This record gives sequence, C-alpha cells and structure tokens, in this order.
Amino acid sequence: MRDDAHSQRGDVKRTDGKAVSRVSVVDESPPRPGPPEGAADEEYRWHSYAVHPSGRPDAVRFVDTYKSFGRSHVLRGLNMALPEGMVSMILGPSGTGKSVCIKHMVGLLYPDSGDVLVHGRSVPDMPDDELFEMRKKFGLLFQDGALFGSMNLFDNVAFPLRQHTEKGDDEIEEIVMRRLNEVGLGDSRTRMPNELSGGMRKRAGFARALVLEPDILLFDEPDSGLDPVRTALLGELILEIHREMIEEAKRKQREHLPTFCVVTHDIMSARRVADYINVLWKGRIVEAGPAEEMLGSENPFIRQFLSGESQGPLTMD
Amino acid sequence: MLEEVGNMMLLTGRTLVSAVRPPYPYGSEFVGQFLFAMRLCWFPLLVSTIAFGYEAPGLQAANFLVLFGALDRLGGFFVLASIREFAPFVDAIVLAGVAGTAITADLGARKIREELDALEVLGVDPIKNLVVPRFLALMLLTGLFDIYALIFGVFGGILATVVNHAPLGPFFATFFNNAETTDLWGSVVKTTLFGAIIAIVCCYKGMTASGGAEGVGRAVNQAVVIAFLGIFAFNYAFTQTLLATHPDITTIIK
Repeated sequence: MRDDAHSQRGDVKRTDGKAVSRVSVVDESPPRPGPPEGAADEEYRWHSYAVHPSGRPDAVRFVDTYKSFGRSHVLRGLNMALPEGMVSMILGPSGTGKSVCIKHMVGLLYPDSGDVLVHGRSVPDMPDDELFEMRKKFGLLFQDGALFGSMNLFDNVAFPLRQHTEKGDDEIEEIVMRRLNEVGLGDSRTRMPNELSGGMRKRAGFARALVLEPDILLFDEPDSGLDPVRTALLGELILEIHREMIEEAKRKQREHLPTFCVVTHDIMSARRVADYINVLWKGRIVEAGPAEEMLGSENPFIRQFLSGESQGPLTMD
Repeated sequence: MLEEVGNMMLLTGRTLVSAVRPPYPYGSEFVGQFLFAMRLCWFPLLVSTIAFGYEAPGLQAANFLVLFGALDRLGGFFVLASIREFAPFVDAIVLAGVAGTAITADLGARKIREELDALEVLGVDPIKNLVVPRFLALMLLTGLFDIYALIFGVFGGILATVVNHAPLGPFFATFFNNAETTDLWGSVVKTTLFGAIIAIVCCYKGMTASGGAEGVGRAVNQAVVIAFLGIFAFNYAFTQTLLATHPDITTIIK
C-alpha cells in the first residue's frame, strides 16, 4: 500500500514538472513531496515540510499515513513525530484530523496506508493481545473526560488500577487520592460524573489517565469548553505534572521519558505549554520543531496561525 | 446496508468467540442486564400477550369457528397460532422495543461520550465486557419470557372462550391433543435466537452511533427497524425448516 502511495505521488510530481530529480547528487536536501492524489500543488504551497530537529528520539512517529472517511480525506500522507520527554502540540485549524491522529496512536483507528510507530513498534501490525498491552503505555484524556457515567469519581480513577494491577484496596486508595488531590478534586471523590462541571470532568479524566503512570499522555482538546482562566490553569497543571513525571522517571531510571501530546487549536495554550509544535493542515504537517523556532518561523502560514490573525494565507474556505 | 449486515455477522462471530474464550469477566454485568431487562419487560409483555391472545387468535378466530359450531377447536388453533407464532412474535417485539432500545440508547450515549473509546484505551474489550453479557442475558430472557408469553397468550384464548359462554373442557382437550413437545421446544429455541438477533442488532447500532444526541436517536430508531426485519426474516426460515423437518406437527388432530 505504501509503495502505491509513493508511486502515485511520484507520478504527480512528474506531471507538474516542478519536482527535483530523485537521483540528484548535488541537492542534498530531500525532494519536496508532491501534493496528495487529487489535490493541487497550490493547496500545499504553504507546506514547507521543514522539521527542526528536537535532538530527542521519537516516542511516536507517523510515516506517510493516509486515512479517509468516505469522501473526506483526513490524513493525506502525514509525516509527524512526537519527541520523547517533551510536551508536544499538534496544532491546526478545526477539522484537520487532530483527534484522528490520537486515535491512530492508540490503535482505535487504523491507517488506510502508511504506518504509525510507537517507540519504534508498528501499531497497525500489532496482534490484538499486543495492542491491549501497548495501550497500557498510554494515558488518554478525552475531550469531555469520557468518565464512566455509572461510577463515581473515585471508582472512575481507580478503574485502570483495578483492571490492570493486583494492587490491594489500600494502595489503590492511596494512588487515587494522590492523583485526585493533584488535580484538585480530592473533596469530590464520591460525586458522580453528571454532577461535575466540564472543567472538573476534564481534570478527573486527567487523574484517570495518570494512575497507571503512562509513558505517553495524550490530551484531546483539553481547552474545549473551558474559559481562558481555567484553560491557563489546566495548562499549568499539565506542565507541573510533566515535570514531576520526568523527575520520577529519571529517579526510577525508566526506559522511556514521559511524553505529553496536546491536541488543540488554542494558540495561547500552545505558547504557554509546548516544548515542540507540529502544525497540521490539510492532513499534513506544514512545519514542525521546538517551540522557540516555530514561534520565530518565517513561514507566513505559521506566523498567521501562531499569532491568530485574520490576515494571511489561512481563510474561511 | 449489505456492509452493515456483514458487520453484524462479524460482531456475532466475535461475540461468540469472546463468550467462550477465558477470562470471563462479564458475570455481574450479565446478571445486572438480565434483571434490568426483566424489570423493564415483564409488565408490557403481560399486557400485550393477554390482549393479543384474546383479540387476534381469541375473539376473531372464535367468531369464525362459531359459524361452524366448532368453538372447541379454538384450543387446537391456539397451539398453531399462539405457541408457534404469536407468542414468540409478541415476546420478541416487546423485548426489542423495550429492552433492545434501552441497550442501544445506553451504548449509543456511551459511544457519544467516548466512554467506549476510553474503555478500549484502558485495555478493556467492549465486546467481551459489554456485548457478551447483553447477548447472553437477552437470549436467556427472551427464551424464558417465551414460556411466560405462551401462558398468558393461551390465557387470552381462555378469556375468549369464556366470553363466548362456552365450556373450557373442549378448549383444553383440543389444545392438548394438538400440542407436541416439538411445539414447545421449537418455540423456545426460536425465541432464544430472536433474543440473539435483538442483542446483536441493538448492540451494534449503539456502538456505532455517531453525531451527538441526534445520532443516538437515529441509532435507536434503526435498531428497532432492523431487529424487527431480522426477526421476521429469521422466523420465516425457522418455521419453514421446523415444518419441513417435523411433518408430524402439520397434521391437525381432532
């Protein structure tokens, strides 16, 4: 499948005549990939595909990933990496397939072609048993927390521990209360999810995602439906917990440093929280790199998007 | 449409495999779902079976039989009509409409709230933990409720006889002359499989709901329609097979 995708794009390159020869010995930078099948080169003119190095190994890597739902092509040859031990952002305008990326990482969706690697292992190729095992590496915070409506807050947060560990009730209680206190919900342990506000549900989902001490934590639009102050506080909480987890991982000499990935279109939180930014548009990365370099990018699209201005290449269509 | 039918077949296969392959974490959910569906269904089923038994094969057939002065044959007719067809039908329709829709709505709402995705990410297989217990509970319950529906369906026939001022002795005589054990187990097996169809359709529709609250409503609606169609189609195949393999039950005895 992947070879097909390559050759199709190779054809497009040849027909529009702009591509550099693949066997060039003079030009050392990789040739600019052609647009996906059925798209004009014009649509992808702001995609510089530049990736500023992070200097870290990749926790997650998308390789030429394509994914369509019926006639809507969501991922169109996505190449993207989340460096280990950093807080990465996948930033992009609404409806560009950011949440779809997350579902690919945990194997809830499979790519039509291409590959998704987690710590170097291909997710689409994993047999079911291995996939269930691999998912324990992940903590995932869903948009609305995705708490189980039939359980109270404590049981929700304790659920992964009861499911996957042999820990006794006392130990579970201790871990759960530590996490609930961390997210500021220690007093609400007996409340049911429908008695909580949106922000509280998100924080509870965060606590639940943390209890198994995952290597990779994914946040699906943590700022949706929150006011700016709560968003800022949540951002701070994310940073604080990331710092703690890094220290703990170093102390315990774990194989992988904890990687956080926040999917959002909120530029303010990106500026505050991100170490590494991937800008996603039309199913591909426009440009990616450490936050400082991205904020100083010359690319007009990136500049417009990161400053949130109405003037620039990105329009309502 | 064909794709959906294929997916439901696939879900059936995966459910059966999950049900028999260890571990078996679905015990308490099975009991919970069984009791939940029983609580929801017992009263609607009671009312519908008596009313339906009294009206359709009861009053209408009695009016017809009175023409020939053969009201005593109503008992025999109830074996054909109520035990073989109407009671299983009413049973399945009530179960699909009451318990099936509740399952679709519940799973659909959980799908929309991303609870099902969360379960999977937390390493819990939704088929084993949610579909299997509902599947088993609904099969068992529909099968058991069939006997309940038979009893109250025949009670409808008794009412119709009484309303016609006829003695009950001949009713029971023709009833037991015609009743065979094949009728009873055929009816129970059939409804157990109806339960399986209802559970698969309703779980599938719930778990694939999309598009917010409206999507859940749509899923419930489609689940009922597809479950009814599935029941009708399966009933046709089952009745034909049963009559063909057991020709003795086609003979009507005085």
